[in-house]
Amino acid sequence: MNHKVDVAIVGTGPGGYVAAIRCAQLGLTVGVVEDDRPGGVCLNWGCIPTKALLRNAEVVSLLGRAAEFGIRLSGFEVNYAEAVQRSRRVADRMAKGVEFLFRKNKITLFPGRGTLTSKSVVEVKGTSGVETLEARAVILATGSEPKSLPGVAIDEKTVISSTGAVRNERAPKSLAIIGAGAVGVEFADVYAAYGVQVTLLEALPRIVPLEDEEVAKELTRTFTRRGITVKTGVKVASAKPGGPGLVVETDDGKLEVEQVLMAVGRAAKVTGLGLEAVGVQLERGFVKVSPLMETSVKGLYAIGDMAGAPLLAHKAMAEGVVAAESIAGRAPRPLDYGNIPSCTYCRPQIASIGSSEARAREQGRDVTVGKFPFTASGKAVALGETEGFIKVVADKATGELLGVHIVGPEATEIIHEFAVGRTLEATLEEIIHTIHAHPTLSEAALEATLAALGQAIHI
Amino acid sequence: MAVTKVVMPKLSEAMESGKIIKWLKKEGDRIQGGDILAEVETDKADVEMEAFGAGVLRKILAPAGETVPVGVLIGVIAEPGDDVAALIASAPAPAPPSAAPATTSAAGAAPARAGAPALAVAAPSTPAPTPAASPRPPAVAPVPMRPSPVTSAPAAAVAAQPSGGRVKASPLAKKIAAQTGVDLRLLQGTGPGGRIVRRDVETAGAAPAAMRAVPDAEFEDRPLSQMRAAIARQMPLSKAPVPHFYVTNEVAMDRAWELREELNALEGQPKISLNDLVIRACALALLQHPGVNASFRGDAIRVFHRAHIGIAVALEEGLITPVLRDCHAKSLAQIAVESRDLAERARVRKLRAQELSGATFSISNLGMFDVAEFSAIINPPEGAILAVGSVRRVPVVDEAGLGVGRRMALTISCDHRVMDGAMGARFLQDVKRLLEEPLRLLI
Repeated sequence: MNHKVDVAIVGTGPGGYVAAIRCAQLGLTVGVVEDDRPGGVCLNWGCIPTKALLRNAEVVSLLGRAAEFGIRLSGFEVNYAEAVQRSRRVADRMAKGVEFLFRKNKITLFPGRGTLTSKSVVEVKGTSGVETLEARAVILATGSEPKSLPGVAIDEKTVISSTGAVRNERAPKSLAIIGAGAVGVEFADVYAAYGVQVTLLEALPRIVPLEDEEVAKELTRTFTRRGITVKTGVKVASAKPGGPGLVVETDDGKLEVEQVLMAVGRAAKVTGLGLEAVGVQLERGFVKVSPLMETSVKGLYAIGDMAGAPLLAHKAMAEGVVAAESIAGRAPRPLDYGNIPSCTYCRPQIASIGSSEARAREQGRDVTVGKFPFTASGKAVALGETEGFIKVVADKATGELLGVHIVGPEATEIIHEFAVGRTLEATLEEIIHTIHAHPTLSEAALEATLAALGQAIHI
Repeated sequence: MAVTKVVMPKLSEAMESGKIIKWLKKEGDRIQGGDILAEVETDKADVEMEAFGAGVLRKILAPAGETVPVGVLIGVIAEPGDDVAALIASAPAPAPPSAAPATTSAAGAAPARAGAPALAVAAPSTPAPTPAASPRPPAVAPVPMRPSPVTSAPAAAVAAQPSGGRVKASPLAKKIAAQTGVDLRLLQGTGPGGRIVRRDVETAGAAPAAMRAVPDAEFEDRPLSQMRAAIARQMPLSKAPVPHFYVTNEVAMDRAWELREELNALEGQPKISLNDLVIRACALALLQHPGVNASFRGDAIRVFHRAHIGIAVALEEGLITPVLRDCHAKSLAQIAVESRDLAERARVRKLRAQELSGATFSISNLGMFDVAEFSAIINPPEGAILAVGSVRRVPVVDEAGLGVGRRMALTISCDHRVMDGAMGARFLQDVKRLLEEPLRLLI
């Protein structure tokens, strides 16, 4: 059957479903194509279920610290399978939420795999046959999938990806995580809390290599203290069956583990979509797009992971809005790719925006740096969460907020005051003239800003 | 307290009436200066109408859908305690359409500068009707020889400082401006709501100092010479109302073409169009030839110190010429970004009022239509317009013999009352030189 819509959207992850809703709000008729549950990797296999697992890890660790709070437990049992089951319920609930939003906005869902047969026609192969969607504009939002290394094949049994890990109800006894980016360190946190012997392997000189150096150092320190083995500057050659499950060969010796988690990054899903046939240009494996998210083919848009770095759900959502408004003729403001917060939800959490101190100096900026440790924050001490710090990197002459790097409790919530500040082009001065409530973790943001001007009060 | 009359603004030179598309505020809403009160449809664009006074929108006199002549009271802004009954009762009291804008804009601008608008109006100041179009030239005789910057400031400058001289700029933009000596009042912001942001200050700061050092006054009026006065009397009789003459030249575009390709290969830089190169060349040449950047005022030649260039944008239903202000002080990148923005918004009829008036020179480019050359009609009260043809690959003969070159024809139409053929030709020569040695456009 042939359907006519204003906009067809392939993929309903955070990019696709947000684009769909925004299009609907702007009065366009929308058909969305999805071969999994609505919500994409983020809701079903990524951001959301892992946040549920990390919350479990946090509760387990708090129970372990009960005595610190004057609570005597005569012992407790943890069940990893139930933690995974809980995360599935959370994911299901959020996916249902997307289905509800589709109904509310009169967006038609076409279950099945979408392929472009021309720049304005999407063919949907579903369980009940083939349908076609003819649209004035098409938005591609198919996302990304886990990558592997040569010599290591993901089988989701002994060598698993993040997608396998969120489904895996049985925690292994020992696990090597290859790649210490956001995905790697989050799973290291979860598994270590459930008693798994975790070895974190990173080829670059430090873990969370995209973050500020001092942040990486702080995380390495707390991970090591929690019994996670952190090995940096290590290249993995192969992972072969043997020992308890696998023998991982590295340039730093052999390692025997039950499972390997591949967390070396993600690749755009650009095959099988008919991109070549309609002439969509790619660039380094991603779809090449204009600032308004249009591909090299007029009327055909691409957003989210498939349209290039950073591979973040919130970037995809923002791009979805730009694409939708652009299609509706609203002349949207393109994204400021230099001002996207990056958040990692291990404990302590990591959040950052803008340039690291080293990067700012490389760019020839004369910088001033302010740092404030959570040990000096009353709220953090009361919470018993004193690991980490806030670091503010600013231009010495103007006070421009060049970058902010947080490692510590609720870092991912605190970062937004700096995101707003940077959007409004606030300087150190505007932050310090903003009264921060006491006692809060956000006070540390004020203090770090004061520190950049040599005026910190509480340190 | 302050009672602000909201009148149908004169949003373009030719506007006589406007249709209220919809009110964005309703009676009883609290209004601040700069709030968008309503959307108004004019002959040229759908325009947002700003409030110039603060208070409560007490009364809406013209509902959505109504077409109202320019100058007619359509609403009243006042404090809740103010008595506005008499004012409302006096409506409709349409002011004569031609006289209203001149008087209201002067009345509106002066108190706005003092910071407490006693009688602010929604009408931005627009240049007085062109004498060429006016049946009675003496009507403009009282135009002062050196009008004060306030009454003659273009709408954009007024918009940037709605009241009390407040400049809408980000904290960072203000700091960088203070450190680099850039005058924020001269900038047009590209941030949300026209807010001046860092990049605006940085691009202005990057412009050579010589180009920014223009007098404070928007223009100066030079007395007519005997000959000029004679020409001025005679020429309209030969071709009314504006006596055109045309000068055509051909430009070798090979180097400009290459430069553009190189610039567009730079990552993270805005894409430069050929027209952007032409705009930049004209802006630089206009500074060298102020006589071309001029307007006939009946008893004087008004020579503009700033190059506000109108860029003709073809629309399905006709043509619109949004104005790119202060081109002389803008880098190529800034021109590229802003001209594309203007053209895109022109196509969706989303231009602001101040972007539709105040050009001192215009460019019409039909290059995309594979046009060898053409001549354009002057847009009064401007003194000249440049018509740009396509860049074509043609056989050329040079020292090396017969080869292939890229050539583009430029035809300037000039108002003979303002200038003569030689002046137009010299200007065109400079534009040609700038485009043939295009690195000059980057300096």
